[in-house]
Amino acid sequence: MADVSKFESPVVASYPPSSGGDPTLADVSATTKWLVRADADGPTADQLGAAFGRSQVAAGGALVLGSRPGEWIVLGASVQVSMAVAGLEQPEGLDSSDFVSALDWTHGRALFRVTGHGAARMLEKVCSLDWSDPMTPDGAVVSASVAKVTCDIARNDADGAPSYLIFCDRSFGQYLFDALIDAGDEFGISVVTSTA
Amino acid sequence: MTMSRLGIQSTEVIDRATKLRFKWNGKRFSGFEGDTIASALAASGEHIFSRSMKYHRPRGILTADYWDPNLLVQVGDDPNVRAGHRLLESSMDVRSQNAWPSLHRDLKAANSLLGRFLTAGFYYKTFMRPQWLWPTYERVLATFAPGGKIDIDTPHRYHDKRYSHPDVVVAGAGPAGIEAALAASATGAQVLLVEHQHAVGGHLRFSSGDADQAALTQLQATLAASDVEVLTDSTVTGRYEDNWLGIVQRNHPIAVERLIKARAKVLVVAPGLIERPYVFEGNDRPGVITSGAARRLINLWGVKPGERAVVFSANADGDAAAADLDRAGVEIAEIVDARERRRISSTTGSSRAVDAVVVDAGLASNQRIDADLLVVAAGWTAPTSLLNMAGDRPVYDATAARFFPSDPPANVLATGGIVGDGSLDQLRSHGAATGRLAAARAAAVRHRLQAHTARALAVDGTEPAWAPDERSPLGRDAHPELYRSDTHGMVDYSEDVSSKDLVAASKEGYDSVELAKRFTTATMGPSQGKLETVNTVAAIAEARGETIAEVGTTVWRPPYAPLTLGALAGRVFEPVRVSSIHPWHEAKGVTTIQAGQWIRPDHYGDPAAEVRNVRENVGLIDVTPLGKLDLRGPDVSKLLNLLYVNKWSKLAVGKVRYGMMCAEDGVVLDDGVTGRLGEDHYMMSTTSSGAGGVWEWVENWLQTERPDWRVHVTPVTTAYASINIAGPKSRELVSRVTSGVDLDPDAFRYMEVRGATVAGVSGCFMWRIGFTGELSFELHVPAGHGLAVWEALMDAGSDLGVGPFGLEGQRIMRLEKGHFIVGQDTDGLTLAPSTGMGGLIKLDKDDFAGKPELVWAADRRLPQIVAIQPDNPNIVPDEACQIVRGDSNEILGRITSARFSPTLGRSICLGQVEPELATGGTKLTVLLTSGERISATVIDHHAHFDPAGERLRG
Repeated sequence: MADVSKFESPVVASYPPSSGGDPTLADVSATTKWLVRADADGPTADQLGAAFGRSQVAAGGALVLGSRPGEWIVLGASVQVSMAVAGLEQPEGLDSSDFVSALDWTHGRALFRVTGHGAARMLEKVCSLDWSDPMTPDGAVVSASVAKVTCDIARNDADGAPSYLIFCDRSFGQYLFDALIDAGDEFGISVVTSTA
Repeated sequence: MTMSRLGIQSTEVIDRATKLRFKWNGKRFSGFEGDTIASALAASGEHIFSRSMKYHRPRGILTADYWDPNLLVQVGDDPNVRAGHRLLESSMDVRSQNAWPSLHRDLKAANSLLGRFLTAGFYYKTFMRPQWLWPTYERVLATFAPGGKIDIDTPHRYHDKRYSHPDVVVAGAGPAGIEAALAASATGAQVLLVEHQHAVGGHLRFSSGDADQAALTQLQATLAASDVEVLTDSTVTGRYEDNWLGIVQRNHPIAVERLIKARAKVLVVAPGLIERPYVFEGNDRPGVITSGAARRLINLWGVKPGERAVVFSANADGDAAAADLDRAGVEIAEIVDARERRRISSTTGSSRAVDAVVVDAGLASNQRIDADLLVVAAGWTAPTSLLNMAGDRPVYDATAARFFPSDPPANVLATGGIVGDGSLDQLRSHGAATGRLAAARAAAVRHRLQAHTARALAVDGTEPAWAPDERSPLGRDAHPELYRSDTHGMVDYSEDVSSKDLVAASKEGYDSVELAKRFTTATMGPSQGKLETVNTVAAIAEARGETIAEVGTTVWRPPYAPLTLGALAGRVFEPVRVSSIHPWHEAKGVTTIQAGQWIRPDHYGDPAAEVRNVRENVGLIDVTPLGKLDLRGPDVSKLLNLLYVNKWSKLAVGKVRYGMMCAEDGVVLDDGVTGRLGEDHYMMSTTSSGAGGVWEWVENWLQTERPDWRVHVTPVTTAYASINIAGPKSRELVSRVTSGVDLDPDAFRYMEVRGATVAGVSGCFMWRIGFTGELSFELHVPAGHGLAVWEALMDAGSDLGVGPFGLEGQRIMRLEKGHFIVGQDTDGLTLAPSTGMGGLIKLDKDDFAGKPELVWAADRRLPQIVAIQPDNPNIVPDEACQIVRGDSNEILGRITSARFSPTLGRSICLGQVEPELATGGTKLTVLLTSGERISATVIDHHAHFDPAGERLRG
C-alpha cells in the first residue's frame, strides 16, 4: 500500500522566485476549508457568528466567512476548522428545526491570497466590484466573477496591508492563478509562499 | 500655403533635443518628441494630408487636433489614425489613405468631375436596379471605400480592461474641469479626471497669454499634488444607465488601449467647446483652418501655418489667433471682423491651396485678398454628447449662437464653456462649485450604497439629503450666428456632404433632422458630428425656413469618440478547467479535446489500441468532469422523485440507480446515476456538460417550488478526481490498492457504492458502474490526492497491462455497448420514451418534472433511438447523416453517433428513426455527405456488443 500522498495544489506551474513585490500572490489551496449550510437565522448562524457578507474569527482561530445567506465557509488550520465545525451537525444543544450540513471543501476549492497596497488596483482588472475601503472593508465577504470565474472573495488584511482571499472551483485554479499574475504584472506582482 | 518650423515658443510642448525620424508615404521626414504626426509633417512643409471620401479633394489641416477630419492616416498596419492627435514616434511608417496611386496624383479625384451627380442619396437611388447587377456594383464600390487597410495577419495586440467606482468622474480637464476635480477631491471624494488631449489644461495650453499660462502652471501643480486620479489621452466614450461610463485610455504603458468601465456616483461633464467651421465656397481647400488650429500649431508645436493670412473673427479666440499669427511672423493681410457684419464669401486657388480670400462686401463688389491662409473663428459647438446620453435635450440660444444643456439628471452636472461664458476666474469658480456639489451628491449616493450592501462598512444616520444646486450660473456672451455664407460649401468634411446636399435633401422631403442625417450621412463620419452638427442643423433650418431651435439637434449616442473593437473586447478571458490528473496526461503527450471549458484527454496516440486494452486487460480514464452533486438532508428522496422520471423512495444505502431527468416539456435534460452514501446523504452524478445546468435546475426546484424541503445541494464535481477503472482485470487492479472494501462480486455488486481507502487516501468512494460495458469501478478520490492515486493505479497494474484511455476510446466503447449520450443522440425535441428506456418512466408517481407531457406522449408513436449497422462494415457514416426513404429525399431519421468498432471489426451507429423503422431487422437508407446512399440495418438491441451485459456484471 502506498503512503498517503501530500495534497497536490491545482497550481502546478512553476514561477520564478520573487520577493518584495506589491502585491504578492500566494497559493494557499491546501488550507482546510469547510462549507456549512444552515438556517440563516437559526442557532447555527448564531454559533458561527459571521453575518452574510462579513467574516469573523472563531474561538479556535478559524476564519468564518458568511458567504451567502445560510452558508458559511470555515477555513484555517485543520485543527482550527475542526473546532469550529465540531458538533454543528449534531442536534444536541441546537434547535431541532435547524437543518445543518457541513462538508469538507478543501479539495474542491482553490484558494489564493493577494496582499498589498496595490491589490485592489489589481483586482479592478479582473473583477467589477468596488474594492474601496467603505464598500469592501477588512472583513468583507463577497461572491463575484474574477476573470470570468465564479469566486468567493474575503478581505482579510494582513500586517496592515489589504489582503484578499480568493476561492474558486479547483479545476479553474491554474487558469485563475495565471490570470491574477497577468493582472498584477503592471504593478510588479510577485509570487510568494504563504500560509492562509 | 507654406508651413515651417518657428523658433522656440515659450508654450511649446516639443522637445527639440529629441529628434524623431519617420516615413511619410515612403519618404524620410523628421520631427521632435512631443510633435503630433500632423505637426511634424506641417513643420516640414507638407500641407496635403488626405483625400476626401467621395470627391477625393485634397485636404489639409483644419483643426489640428483629434477631431480634424482631414488628418486620418495609416500608421504601419493601423488604419484611420488621427494624425492631429497621435504623437510622433521614432521609425513610424505613416501613409496617406484613400488615394490611388498616390496622395498628390489621385486618379479617383475624377469623381469630383461627376460631383453634381454624386449628390446625397446617389448610391441609394442608383444601385438599386437592376437587382441582378448588385454583386458587380458591390465589387466596384468596394474599391472606392474610404479608410485605411487592415492586414488580417496583424498579431492581436494587448488591450486591457479595468473597473472603477469613483465618487466623481470629471470628463474634461480644462480649467473648470480641473477645479471641479480638485474641489471634489478636497472633500475626501475619490475623483477620476479624464482628459481627451495629451495633457490637462484645455484651451489654456495653446494660449500665449501670460495670465493663462500662469493659471495653467498653477492648476497643473495643484492637480499633481492632489489625490485626483488623472487620465490623459483618454475619453469618456459613453454614459449609460446609472452613470455607468465607458472610458478609453489610449496611452497606457502596458496596452495599446485600456477600457475602463466606471460606475460614477456623479458625472461632471466639462468638455469645453469645439470650434466649428464656417460654410462657404472653398472652405475645404488646404489653407483654410480654424483659429484653434492656428494657435495650436504656433503655440504647442512651433509651426508657422502660412505666410500671409486673412483672419475671419467673430470672437476673442479669433482675435487671439490674429495676435499669435502676427507674433509668429505671419503677415496679416486682413482681419475680417464678423462682429461688424463682415463675411467671407469664398476662397480661390487651386484644389491644393488657397491663393486668395474673397470677402463679401455687401452691395459693393466682393473684395479679393491674396493670402495662402484663412483662419476662421466662427463660433462653437457645445459637445453635449454625454449629457444627451443622460437624457438631456440641449436647447439653442440664438443670442449666444450655440446649444446649451437643459435639464440633465441630478447625478450629472456640467461646468465650463459648455454651460456658459465668463472670465477664466469665473469659469474656475463655477468649476469648483460644481465639484463641491458633485462631491456632496456623491456622498449621498455612497451612503445609500453602503446602507444597502451587506459587506460594506455600516453607516450611521439617515441618507444625506440631495444637495441643492446653488451655483451661480455663468453668463452667455452674445455671438454672431455664423453658419453659412452667401455661397455653398462643405458641411461634413468626413463624409463630403455640402450645404447643397442638405438643401436637396430637404427638398426631397427629409424634413426631420434625424432623417436628413441618415439620408445624407452628415455627422456620421469619424468626427461624429463634433464639427458638423450645428452647421447641418443650420443648413436644414435655412432650407426649411425655420429657426435652428425649431429644427433641434440630432441625438448624440455613444461612443463620444470612435474606439477600436479591441478596446471594447478588452482583455480576453477564456477560463479553462483541468483535472488534478492533467499534469500526468500532459507528460504522456496526450492529445486533448476541449469539451466546454474542460481540457480533456482525447487519446494517447491510438484510440483503437486503447479500446482493445480495456476489452482485454484494464484501462484508466480520467472522468473528473462528470458532474457530482452532494445531496444531504431528510428530503433528498423526495427531490429525486421530483427530478427523475423513475422512482427513488426505496434506494437502499450502498445502492446506485440510473436516472433520467426531463425538462417540464418531457424532453430529456440529463442522465446519470445517483448513489446513496448514507441515510440522508446521496451523491448525484450528471453528464459532464450538464453539470452546471443540472445544479441550477435542482436549486431552482428547491428554492422556488419546494423551499420547505430540507435538502442541501453542493456541487463537488472537482472536489473529487474521478477515475474509471475498466476491463476484465479491473477488480484485480482495484484490489491491489484498496482497503476497507470487500470487492467480491457478491459483496460489491454492479450498481452499488462503497466508501474506501485507496492508495492510502481515505475519504474515497467508488461505485460499480461504467460506460464502456466492461467490469468497471468508478473511483472518486479527494482531488488533492487524485494524481497520486492515478499514479499508484498505474504502478500497481503494470503487470496487468494497465493503460490510459481517452474520451475517444470511451466513446467507441459506449457506442459498442449502445449507451446514448444526452445532447448527441438526443436533441431538443427528444422525449424520454424515444430513448428506448420508456420502462424507466413511472407515470404512477404523484408528480415529477415533465410528467404531464410524458402522460400525453405515452399514447403516441415517437421517433426512436436505435442501433444501426451499415451493411458495408467498412463504411462509417458521418454523424448527422440523414436516413431517407429509398431514392427519395424524404427524411426518416439521422445517424447520431458512428464509429468503427475495433472490437467488432465493423462500423456501428446509433440513430434516431421514425417509429415504424425502429424494429430490429428493418432496412434503412443512409444518405452520406458525399451524396452516396448506403443500406443499413436496425439491430434488436442498442448494444452492438455484449447485449446481455455479462461483462459489466462480472
